[in-house]
Amino acid sequence: MLELANLSKHFGGVRAVDSLNLKIEPGQIFGLIGPNGSGKSTTVNLITGLLDVTHGSITLAGEEITRLPTHVRLSSGIARTFQNIRLFGQLTVWQNLWVAENARAQRERTNFFSRWMGGDRGARARITRALEFSGLADKADELAANLAFGEQRRLELARALAAEPKLLLLDEPAAGMNPEEIGALDDRIRQIRDSGITVLLIEHHMELIMAIADRIAVLNFGQKIAEGTPAEVQAHPAVREAYLGTAG
Amino acid sequence: MDGYLITILSNIGMVSFVALSAYILLLSGQISFGQQAYFGIGAYVAGIATVMWQWPLAGALLFGSLAAGAAAGLVGLATLRLSGIYFAMATLAFAEIMRIAAELFVYRRDIGGIESGPDGVDGFRDIRYFFANEFSPLETCLIVYALLATVLAILCIIERTRAGRMLRQIGEDPLLAEVHGINVMSVRMIAALAAGAVAGLGGGLYAHLMTYVEPKSFDIMLGVHALAYGLIGGLGTAFGPILGVLIDIGLLESTRIFHGYRMIVFGGLVAVLLIVRPRGLLDEVAVSRIRRALRRRRDAGD
Ligand SMILES: Nc1ncnc2c1ncn2[C@@H]1O[C@H](COP(=O)(O)OP(=O)(O)OP(=O)(O)O)[C@@H](O)[C@H]1O
Ligand SMILES: [Mg+2]
Repeated sequence: MLELANLSKHFGGVRAVDSLNLKIEPGQIFGLIGPNGSGKSTTVNLITGLLDVTHGSITLAGEEITRLPTHVRLSSGIARTFQNIRLFGQLTVWQNLWVAENARAQRERTNFFSRWMGGDRGARARITRALEFSGLADKADELAANLAFGEQRRLELARALAAEPKLLLLDEPAAGMNPEEIGALDDRIRQIRDSGITVLLIEHHMELIMAIADRIAVLNFGQKIAEGTPAEVQAHPAVREAYLGTAG
Repeated sequence: MDGYLITILSNIGMVSFVALSAYILLLSGQISFGQQAYFGIGAYVAGIATVMWQWPLAGALLFGSLAAGAAAGLVGLATLRLSGIYFAMATLAFAEIMRIAAELFVYRRDIGGIESGPDGVDGFRDIRYFFANEFSPLETCLIVYALLATVLAILCIIERTRAGRMLRQIGEDPLLAEVHGINVMSVRMIAALAAGAVAGLGGGLYAHLMTYVEPKSFDIMLGVHALAYGLIGGLGTAFGPILGVLIDIGLLESTRIFHGYRMIVFGGLVAVLLIVRPRGLLDEVAVSRIRRALRRRRDAGD
């Protein structure tokens, strides 16, 4: 599904991502972990095109997308959430989903009129379904900025899903959630995978990621130090060292 | 109707065009201090067209508007990649360059025994189309409002389309809009072209109603006011900037209540509103409330 080859991003002297090689198979939940500042969010920003690659390449479903502009990448099937929640705060919950729905529609629209004037009958039903899936059905008319924290996280996820991606990038979706909410998130991410969407999950919450990831890669100082099944990664000495600062 | 009132109404109408022009860019999240330049370009070009080339008014206004839109497009190529304060400064710089160019611009010809045309700092006098064709002030005022109503109607329709919603999304968070598949640069470019054309149309009307224009009519004060109108009146609807113009010209300038203190009152009003209501009186929340109330009323009426 997604392949990163020799991917690097340097900020001046900082090698935020350093010759990273990753291969994510379709239908997987792929976990990406690492200490603070190890380059996880930067990797997501490279995949979505918000940052320019220093060198290396990104291939999505066999097509190279390294230099595609951001707005085109979504049409090729990439959606994401942000580590610091990012919503259109002055739009309603419904309108926030409409944005993503619109983006999905862009993929199929070639004619000028429907592209700019809009109007799509299927959209309403799909948005309603997305609202129900995320437990936000009764909040449709609220301004996104007025939602509670947990609801904002759910809305962000719903919005990413409304774009009907092939690949979903989740940057610390559990941050700031209570155990109950994390339990619900766990279920939701599994459901997303089972519906056929490949998930790249970045998380500091180890219990969650160890429970649901099919495969995990560990970053430290922008480099991959380990990769494997959750059990393999947990047992890996380099991982223990990176996390605990001591050789295990 | 009395002459003074008609003059004020005409002024409100004409200034509304440049207020709408700034508003279109504000929606896309960009603060331009340079929309007065396109008002000026529209004024000069339309004036030249009727006076020097004897074009009919409609053609002259359209041409002035297109010329201003084209100029806005060129400036947009250079400035749209900038953001925030850099965009504001760049647009101001371009507007000042154009104003200075107008001070140097001399294009004089003998038209029916009188030497006419733009004459540098002295401006462009005797744009006498309305006078020569015996339009009354009321008629010219009606022309202004007919065109303003057309522009408003088009803007209101566009705001409800996909394109209009994209514009607001970009205004709120361009990066997030980009991630959602919106080509931010191209939408902003279209907005800049449209904003230039709207200002240019107003400028063409201004030249013909005033019968003369001079470079200093299009200085930064006009641009600052144009921005302030949207910020006072509200960014929730295209009627917002018009409300801003009404408050400033209709209330502060014309009634003379605040005679001599107008700029202080106006400046204070902007400052207070920016703090208590950063998106103006008719902001998005107010507009959606009004829409809902209207809908309820209509439903109850059925
Ligand atoms: N725009 C930027 N300019 C300069 N340096 C940056 C920029 N973005 C990230 N960095 C640096 O790159 C490194 C990796 O940052 P990144 O945000 O990818 O880490 P992360 O793994 O997501 O960390 P966290 O777990 O704290 O979210 C850090 O040293 C950070 O300071
Ligand atoms: Mg991060």
